[in-house]
Amino acid sequence: MNLYKLSIITIITTTLVGCNPKFDVPDPGKGNIDASQYVALGSSMTAGYADGGLYFGAQQNSYANLLAEQLKLIGGSEFKIPYVSQNSIGIGNTNNAPSVLGNRTDCQGTVSLGPVKLAIQGDASVFSSNVYSSQGPFNNMGVPDVKVTDVDLNGYTNPFYSRMASNGTSSILSDAIAKNPTFFTVALGLNDVLNYALKGATSESITPLSGPVGVGFESSIHNVIDKLTANGAKGVIANIPSIKSMAYFNTIMWNSLKLDTASVTNLNTFYTALNAPFSFVEGNNGFVIEDQSIPFISRRLAVDGEFILLNVPLDSIKCHKWGSLIPIPDRYVLTLSEINTIETAINNYNVILKNIANSKGLALVDMNAFFTKIKTGFTYNGVAVNAAFVSGGAYSLDGLNLTARGNALLANEFIKAINNTYGSSIPEINATKYPGVIFP
Amino acid sequence: MIKLYQFIIFFISPFYIFSQGFQVNLQGQKQQGMGGAGTAYMQDASSLFFNPGGASFVHGNSVNAGVTPTIARGAFLDESTQTVSRTNSPVSTPFAAYGLFEVKDSSKLKIGLAIYTPFGSTVQWEENWTGRFALTRLELRAIFFQPTISYRITDKIGIGAGFVYANGRVNLQKDIPLVDGNGTYGHAELAGKANGYGFNAGIYFKPIEKLSIGLTYRSKVEMKVNEGDATFNVPASASANFPSGKFTSKLPLPNVTTLGLAYKINSKLDVALDINYVGWKAYDTLSFDYENNTTSLIDTKSARRYKNTFAFRGGAQYKITHLFAARLGLAYGITPVQNGYVTPETPDANRINYTAGLGYELGKHLKIDVSFLFTHLKRKDTNIETNLSGTFKTNVCAPGISIGYKF
Repeated sequence: MNLYKLSIITIITTTLVGCNPKFDVPDPGKGNIDASQYVALGSSMTAGYADGGLYFGAQQNSYANLLAEQLKLIGGSEFKIPYVSQNSIGIGNTNNAPSVLGNRTDCQGTVSLGPVKLAIQGDASVFSSNVYSSQGPFNNMGVPDVKVTDVDLNGYTNPFYSRMASNGTSSILSDAIAKNPTFFTVALGLNDVLNYALKGATSESITPLSGPVGVGFESSIHNVIDKLTANGAKGVIANIPSIKSMAYFNTIMWNSLKLDTASVTNLNTFYTALNAPFSFVEGNNGFVIEDQSIPFISRRLAVDGEFILLNVPLDSIKCHKWGSLIPIPDRYVLTLSEINTIETAINNYNVILKNIANSKGLALVDMNAFFTKIKTGFTYNGVAVNAAFVSGGAYSLDGLNLTARGNALLANEFIKAINNTYGSSIPEINATKYPGVIFP
Repeated sequence: MIKLYQFIIFFISPFYIFSQGFQVNLQGQKQQGMGGAGTAYMQDASSLFFNPGGASFVHGNSVNAGVTPTIARGAFLDESTQTVSRTNSPVSTPFAAYGLFEVKDSSKLKIGLAIYTPFGSTVQWEENWTGRFALTRLELRAIFFQPTISYRITDKIGIGAGFVYANGRVNLQKDIPLVDGNGTYGHAELAGKANGYGFNAGIYFKPIEKLSIGLTYRSKVEMKVNEGDATFNVPASASANFPSGKFTSKLPLPNVTTLGLAYKINSKLDVALDINYVGWKAYDTLSFDYENNTTSLIDTKSARRYKNTFAFRGGAQYKITHLFAARLGLAYGITPVQNGYVTPETPDANRINYTAGLGYELGKHLKIDVSFLFTHLKRKDTNIETNLSGTFKTNVCAPGISIGYKF
């Protein structure tokens, strides 16, 4: 190689290298927390329940596991999860199979994209064997459907707990404490109202504020936090999102009864004969819902602010006159007063959670604000995120739990709260790397 | 009756490059060596670009061609995740070629043709980078053809004007946040040819032997994409929501008003200064109008809100011998991009250009000029449309060479 060529190559190389911009990226800082043993307490979202079931992929993407990955950057150790077999379709809380997005044909023969269950039933083997001895003891102590009042219940019989319990008389909390956590997250309380909401306020009950441990919300959550912090562990408490922000209650709108002229005439004739105090107009109308407080006809029109639940059988609405000639049964509806009762409970719980966080010097994640932000809609690194079912990218196909992307964004809320409270500098997660609903 | 599954996915849309918005000031090696000043400093046929009014003062006939391989290295630090993404853009090659001719010997009238690339380059971000849903790649090319007439009214004043025909193409790509079962994300590619028209006019005034003054106006050129091809690759079940088809768009290349001064300090040392006023306000909105609209694929109007801006370019040429010249220059450009509007296509910032150059005459007719330009840009911002938040850094290294022939 002659000198000329050599000098040209030298110039080009120097230019290319010298032309690269440099950044000084600081190392993650642990602040004043010891992340070596992180334990997560919570319900379905913590466990990694999504698309209507607990399954391997969703467990991997739970915000708790994503947070644990980031905590490893500041000294966190392995985060043990009671994994469902990778080959299993998983199982939901009604023994159902989880759903995927697929084509389905409705009663009118119209094919559209929507949640399709992977099988008629979920994988029952998930519940039939205990994985504690093979995989435990666990760091992710999230258990679907758990209420605050269940957490320290010895021999708690929830099948999602039975499959991971250390023994037949342990409680979720005792198993968590046995892990000697140095750091914890607690996201409890949603199921204390949600179970009631999901039944259209027709069954189940809302956990009362007062009462002994195992009965009242306040004493039960205090018991959890007292035991977790007994040895000086630090952690995060999450508050409870308003159900008003959730896709489950906002997908089928109260006024989605769309009528043409002929239907209006028919319905008005029918309801005039019944002396009903309402009538129909062309276009959008409130659904006819069951209301036992209305004399004789036991029905009325839904009003703005009332929720039709996502589990209402759509074929019954489309082809069998539900919501018009036949009222939508109460169990699929939350009325204004029912919503008010639920929201009041959530607000009261959140006051208690905030007070505990303050008095114990723990970080507080405003999960309620985060879910409201999703409902309003925002853009994250060019990705639109909102509460729209399927397309919004945040909610999984059960309309209650989050997608991987939603979980990553939620984990970032935890990270921000931890960094703010404990002076740490844990990097957030690049949530664009995590998918929303998977499209076929 | 019930619209359960509406796909409302914002299709956010951009455009861009380096060098004050997407302007590229690399039209002459001599001027480049002097910080880019040349509106009052007539050197050779490149005056057709720098000041058509002064071209008539260039002696004899001359042709000149040059190229400036431009290496732009960009990086983005997302402070929240503490991760750095980088560009791996190909080297772009802005070029300029000029021919300037006397209509007849020693006449006052000169005609010429200038072909140059005042806008454009390619930005390619690394795979799966944080801002992939804002932009993955943007390629912008614009070639200007400028036939020009220059007339020397007196020995002190000259005027000139050229008609500009601009031809180019644009190719913009980004990922779409829809994922299929294999983990493959959707992708959009908008490609099209664009063209536009404008002019370049100037006055050159030389009140005394040592001082010259230039004033030029290069008009806005609106590059219109009429039959662009929008291609979407998305999961099969969403393909009806993202139909590939035609699109229209336009991109304004702004007007530039320049006042230039040049002063001969002595027989060896010349200095020159240009002040540019760039009409970037024209770039207010970037719109894409899709032929096939769906609830997911809606026509977009993205605010850009560029503001008019100044650039100051100054430099000196020192003749070491009568054949050999050395040049140094400095330029300061104020960014047209306001806070909240910084995008991965235009990670623009206020900038200082450092330039240097050499010129050597190989005998009576032939001349070789080389130059080198370095710029460093740093801008921290949160984009109001995408919420992409972090610090962009760009280094530009641009060595250039040109050959000129006089006769």
